[in-house]
Amino acid sequence: MTISHHPPEDLLADFAAGKLEEAHQLVVGVHVAGCPRCTRFVEAIEQLAGAALEEVEPVPIAPDAFDRVMSRIQEAPRETAAPSLVSGMDDDVPPALRKYRIGKRRRVAPGLSLRPIELSSSGKSRAFLLRSAPGSRMLEHTHTGTELTLVLEGSFSHEGGRFGPGDFDYGDDEVDHRPIVGDEGPCLCLVAMTGDLRMNGLLGRLIGPFVRL
Amino acid sequence: MPIRAEAGLPRRVTARLSIGASKGPKATVDWADLIGRVASDGDREAFKRLFEHFAPRIKGLMLKAGCSPDVSEEIAQSTMIAVWRKAHQFDPATAGAPAWIFTIARNLRIDLFRRRARTDRLETGPELPDAPDQAEPADILISRGQDAARIASALKQLSAEQSMVVRLSFIEERPHPEIASALGIPLGTVKSRIRLAMNRLRDILDEEA
Repeated sequence: MTISHHPPEDLLADFAAGKLEEAHQLVVGVHVAGCPRCTRFVEAIEQLAGAALEEVEPVPIAPDAFDRVMSRIQEAPRETAAPSLVSGMDDDVPPALRKYRIGKRRRVAPGLSLRPIELSSSGKSRAFLLRSAPGSRMLEHTHTGTELTLVLEGSFSHEGGRFGPGDFDYGDDEVDHRPIVGDEGPCLCLVAMTGDLRMNGLLGRLIGPFVRL
Repeated sequence: MPIRAEAGLPRRVTARLSIGASKGPKATVDWADLIGRVASDGDREAFKRLFEHFAPRIKGLMLKAGCSPDVSEEIAQSTMIAVWRKAHQFDPATAGAPAWIFTIARNLRIDLFRRRARTDRLETGPELPDAPDQAEPADILISRGQDAARIASALKQLSAEQSMVVRLSFIEERPHPEIASALGIPLGTVKSRIRLAMNRLRDILDEEA
């Protein structure tokens, strides 16, 4: 897998610092997990954070904190059992997503279906898996917020280039997306989105109600 | 003579190790060794030293990043509990101890804010669950590379100005105008310096790979 499109550096730094909305954290995290180059970048920011931790002015901790920590350590069981996989061995779901609850696939238009990902917080962002048929035109839309797309299988192309497995596409309100799915097979993407969508065309009007999860 | 050349080496290494210590001379403590002792023997004395050093710093960093005193205290305590529990997972080859402890605190903070967003209307205290387990969403499963040393040497190639601006912006989470007045530089310079630092870091890491 050759990855040629990466998240912008400030997004990676925000990821490393833990500042992203949950949906964005998820999509960037799945990219980073499969991308040694971005893993190095994230680790570099974490090392800078470690240096900041060493140099920050210490603030006195509660006087009984150590005793409380020791008693909490002794009270609770050491390790909890691994959670059961909520989504099962579903071939649509990449390993990194298996701990998430993922909704049923909904066919929203010919050749286009999506599965919402249940996030633990009710932030302003949404995440879903989007499956598009080979050769089809994907969501034709613009939006007011940001949209992060990670290709899991297949490919799509737009004016920014061709995006294959592992590639990351960053869209903001200046981008008018007209992606076309490659002919080699269906395209499965993990998408995080904030802001309101402005759907274009008939397809957009069809899918609009489904995307606002 | 080669012996003389070698004799100079330890001093240079020590000097480099203490770059982080801004407040006078400090005995170099091997945090990784202490974590190892917690992992293998449940060594309370080693844990206490880790606690006394890191808990007040975690609290300090969380306060800087905008958490309330209660939340900062809770994250500091929960982080130390996780340090005890996860000590066996720590691999000195993948990260320094402070970076590792930072990632634990970061994940706890993410989980705390998500939990709070979810239970916003319920009256719940800031208390975190004791054992953030692998199922926590914040624990994005990145398999760590084994190149902590190479990354550390890459970071040394950033200028002091560049690492400072990255730290203030991303780790202490200070807004750009505040960074501008703290450093006495125009706002536009803050933005361009961050961008240059990010690009430079990417380039250095690509070269090192």
